[in-house]
Amino acid sequence: MAELPQLRLVVPPTADGSATRRSSATRRGTRPGRIVSVGGGKGGVGKSLVAASLGIELARRGCRVVLVDCDLGGANLHTSLGIDPPRRTLSEFVNHRVERIEEVFVPTGIRNLSLVSGALDHLDAASPSHGQKMRLIRHLQSMETDFAILDLAAGTQKNTLDFFLLADHKVLVLAPEHSAVENAHRFVKAAFWRRLRAASSIFGLAHLLDECLDGGRFRGPTEVLEAIQGADEEAGRQLREQMAAFRPGLVVNQVRTPEDVELGLGVAAAWRRHFGIDMDVLGAVEYDDDVWRAARERRPLLLARSESRAARSLVRIASVIRELDAMAETGR
Amino acid sequence: MKSLSERSFYEILEVPRSATPEEVQRAYERARALFGPGSLASYSLLAPDEAEVLHLRIEEARSVLLDPQARVAYDERLPAEGEWKGRPAAPFQPAKTPVAPGAQFLGTPWPAIPGADFHPPEGTPWTGDLIRQAREARGLSILQVSERTKVQRSHIANVEAERFDQLPPAVYLRGIVLSIACALRLDDQRVARSYMERAAGARAPAKGR
Repeated sequence: MAELPQLRLVVPPTADGSATRRSSATRRGTRPGRIVSVGGGKGGVGKSLVAASLGIELARRGCRVVLVDCDLGGANLHTSLGIDPPRRTLSEFVNHRVERIEEVFVPTGIRNLSLVSGALDHLDAASPSHGQKMRLIRHLQSMETDFAILDLAAGTQKNTLDFFLLADHKVLVLAPEHSAVENAHRFVKAAFWRRLRAASSIFGLAHLLDECLDGGRFRGPTEVLEAIQGADEEAGRQLREQMAAFRPGLVVNQVRTPEDVELGLGVAAAWRRHFGIDMDVLGAVEYDDDVWRAARERRPLLLARSESRAARSLVRIASVIRELDAMAETGR
Repeated sequence: MKSLSERSFYEILEVPRSATPEEVQRAYERARALFGPGSLASYSLLAPDEAEVLHLRIEEARSVLLDPQARVAYDERLPAEGEWKGRPAAPFQPAKTPVAPGAQFLGTPWPAIPGADFHPPEGTPWTGDLIRQAREARGLSILQVSERTKVQRSHIANVEAERFDQLPPAVYLRGIVLSIACALRLDDQRVARSYMERAAGARAPAKGR
């Protein structure tokens, strides 16, 4: 296959036309590290590959990284990393058998990289209570690491959406096929509404949202925010600020053609043009037999086949995430 | 984001008012690639009826903006650029400057549609008869609306005559009504909602519900 063109980081301008990104720098005083969530709605599109590879690459660059398997019902990130099922898992933390989440960190054999494995035994841990989930989120947000990378489950379950939404980098993985694109659109709609609903209930505007739902049809955020701002200007303004942080970053996996590479740009353009939601295009990962070869060998792609095309694409995506952080730090 | 019927042709194609015909053509091709049938990127992003209305608007935007005469007439009716941007959604705003009665359809600007004085009172239910009145006030035949919307003539006639038993199921019917309302420069969402309520009411006893 001919060398596919690679995309550069695309940062579409915000709704007001400026290219300024929200700055998370102000939150760094209370937040030691950055959170990257990797979701996408559909199973098998490569979420675990992307999460594991980002973790390995960021750790190789000297960052302290913890990979968290948030697929509470189907944990297998340890397999992607080529290690045996750990004895200590998230269920011990969820069920209060340990005080701090750091106590269930397990080494991965890779310097700077730890793993929090998903629950493997306790079926009840697959659906933690609200209190358990909030405790988990608090601990995730205050871990002493540079990066926490959350590998999410497929689907649009509420817990999955909440883990996606709490991240600084909301990575959405899709593949160039109709079912993956469909699930990605559905995932973004569900996540957006969940975020909007949470923010609205803070301002006591949840009832307005229901009115704006128009019989279950997903309506554009600008339209909804305008309606809310009409009812309560200050609340509307604050809601707008909150929602500006909803900005997924797209990764298109298994690209085979130049058109596949462009899919991320197309999806981002469709969302911006029709719903006014901005997305970043983080990059594309080439379809590569080395991915399954590495999987068969039960070794992470970045270690087993570091010179493969897919591995190089994933390394570039890690660079893009660093670049976005640098932009947020400097406030542009 | 404004609803589809509120977006100007320039906004639909994402070109500035000063765009050259070449720029309009390129923007049209981009929009078609992005939202047209067969696009992977926007697959399932829009509801089928909404997607259909968007396709129509993209086609109309091209035909109007690439026809110099039609474009001038259209520009005259558009508010100044600053006013248009961020203007709150205004439901049911028929053409303000009726011109060129009897204008042909495709390739003819929306502003050239007559019938600006067609204002049913607020809250009037959108019956088939009212849709017919709106069409006639704009000087359009069923054939012309059909050419513009790609909706079969028999469907348009059945919508106006409220022959619900001869119309397709609700999900398709809603798309048809949206397209007709859009072509008549009515508030498409409101017309569809009102009409579909009537249709549901009329169909319910027939189905024995």
